[in-house]
Amino acid sequence: MIRVDAITKSFGRQGEVHAVRDVSFTAPDGQITGLLGPNGAGKTTLLRMLSTLIVPDGGGASVAGLDVVRDRYAVREAIGVLSDARGLYPRLTARENIRYYGSLHGLSGVELETRAAQLIHTLGLDALADRRTQGFSQGEKMKVAIARALVHDPETILLDEPTNGLDIMSVRALRDQLRQLRGEGRCLLFSSHVMQEVAALCDRIVILGRGRVIAMGSATELIAQSGAATLEDAFVSLLGSGEGLAA
Amino acid sequence: MTTSPRRPVPARARVAAVARKELLDTLRDRRTLLVTLLPAVVAGPLVLMLMFTVIAGQIDRARELKLPAVGQAHAPALIAFLERQQVTLIAAPSDYEAKVRSGELDVVLVVDADFESDVAAGKAGKVQLVYDRSRDRAQPSIREAEALLRAYNRQWGSQRLLLRGIAPTVGNPLAVDAIDLATPQQSGAFLLFFLAYYGLFAAVMGGMAIALDVTAGERERQSLEPLLMTPARPLELVLGKWLAVATFNAMIVIVTLTGYYVTLRFAPLPAVGVPFLFSVRELAWFLVVLLPLVALLPTVMLFMGARSRTYKEAQASASLVIFVVSIIPVVQLVQQRKDPDWIVWIPVSGQFSLLGQVLRGEGVPLAQLAASFAVPVALAAGMLLLVTRLLSRESILAGK
Repeated sequence: MIRVDAITKSFGRQGEVHAVRDVSFTAPDGQITGLLGPNGAGKTTLLRMLSTLIVPDGGGASVAGLDVVRDRYAVREAIGVLSDARGLYPRLTARENIRYYGSLHGLSGVELETRAAQLIHTLGLDALADRRTQGFSQGEKMKVAIARALVHDPETILLDEPTNGLDIMSVRALRDQLRQLRGEGRCLLFSSHVMQEVAALCDRIVILGRGRVIAMGSATELIAQSGAATLEDAFVSLLGSGEGLAA
Repeated sequence: MTTSPRRPVPARARVAAVARKELLDTLRDRRTLLVTLLPAVVAGPLVLMLMFTVIAGQIDRARELKLPAVGQAHAPALIAFLERQQVTLIAAPSDYEAKVRSGELDVVLVVDADFESDVAAGKAGKVQLVYDRSRDRAQPSIREAEALLRAYNRQWGSQRLLLRGIAPTVGNPLAVDAIDLATPQQSGAFLLFFLAYYGLFAAVMGGMAIALDVTAGERERQSLEPLLMTPARPLELVLGKWLAVATFNAMIVIVTLTGYYVTLRFAPLPAVGVPFLFSVRELAWFLVVLLPLVALLPTVMLFMGARSRTYKEAQASASLVIFVVSIIPVVQLVQQRKDPDWIVWIPVSGQFSLLGQVLRGEGVPLAQLAASFAVPVALAAGMLLLVTRLLSRESILAGK
């Protein structure tokens, strides 16, 4: 469960760039919550605050009951993050990349090996596991990054634009993976600027624009709320015509 | 929910995990390994061989003088004297002047055709030395030929005086006994500088590539942000990375010094009378003296790497550090003064001075060694905290 309460973050010398303004929502366990918004809406900043990488200027948030500022390291143990930056170590094999993160999360010995092997198998990486990630395709790299983020079996999972740069086969495989994690009762927060992505996967949608929450609810609720015929129309009409949309 | 409560993880386990991974990553990087290890393995012995050969060549030239001569038959006594002094006399080619000018011949002896008749008439016998003073390489031969002729002159004169019942000291009141300190001691001193300098340089350079790779490289590869989201504290990451870099740096220093040791001990180097020892004892002392730099330089490189966005940017600032550090010993050498006692407190200068002491067999007092550790250790700790602060800043995520 993620609770976000009036969270605010500004950048710039005088804090003149308001990246996130007064955002509140909750993301329950056993559901996929989508953060939908155009480029620059504040999605990455919001996810970075939830993953305790940056500190909010105002308001607060908790993940799995832990405060993102006060209990930042406990939060890090409870979450798995697939961030916007997802570089692997090209000279290490897929398994070594996963193992490294496992050891930073305190796993070791048989427990670590079993967990890594299990993730490699579920993500269909068996044939690649002991090859260096140097020549991996985007989709293969993504799978390793996901395995790395899930190595410590986190109950909350944050994903920042996970489908960026993936072909349709990889996107489908990813969706199946996320649905399975939802089935295990985990809390997933998924950000995207691609509306179809969010519509296909998410139980709840939070629409962000210029750092604020514009609307939230299920796809049907949002369509009803805007009076539009499709989710796309609903999205555009809720954001207003001023926002550019790269859907 | 499958999450099980996990026991707390000791910080040292995470530090070790980071260090292990960075070392593995570096050892897999064949290009960096080649560029860092190859000079350490090859350059030292190679340069040592070259320097030894050059110095030995200079000494040999003076010792085994080959003197082309014209008109040897006119002064048989002089020729016999020269041959007794181990000079090999050969007939000079007719175009000897051109050959001296072109550097093919160092010096040529020309005995005047009227030598015998002049001497018989009580006049001075004339000989000429033909040489080109501007040629450095010919200097030892020229000096040697001049000295031999002077010696012959003195001997002949003394004999004549003796025949007339006069003590030789009447004609040679000044007994000049030249003791040349320049060779081989001075060439030895240069070798000494070189050995100390190269050891120092290995400690300065050895960790650069890996230090920049684990900081700026990590940022450039976009792997820093996910790493900062793990439960590893910034200080643990920095300590782990530093351990890896310092270990690698130590390895480079050991390889470099071992290269020297093996070359000096086993390579068929010409004997030039090196006035210092480099045994296992000196090798061990070198390592001890260089230890503070092996620890300090990686922290400086990590700092340079952590404040740069790309590897290339980091390399530019790191090169500046290396330039400054590598010029310090040269300044010390050029000054040609005995180092003051307080020099041991200054990083780099102190180590360089102590390395010289080790080579000259003077030994390193414990108090001096402790003084040479103080500043680098304090600086290294400060730098590590600075790097930790850099990694804790939110702006480290900006500017990909």
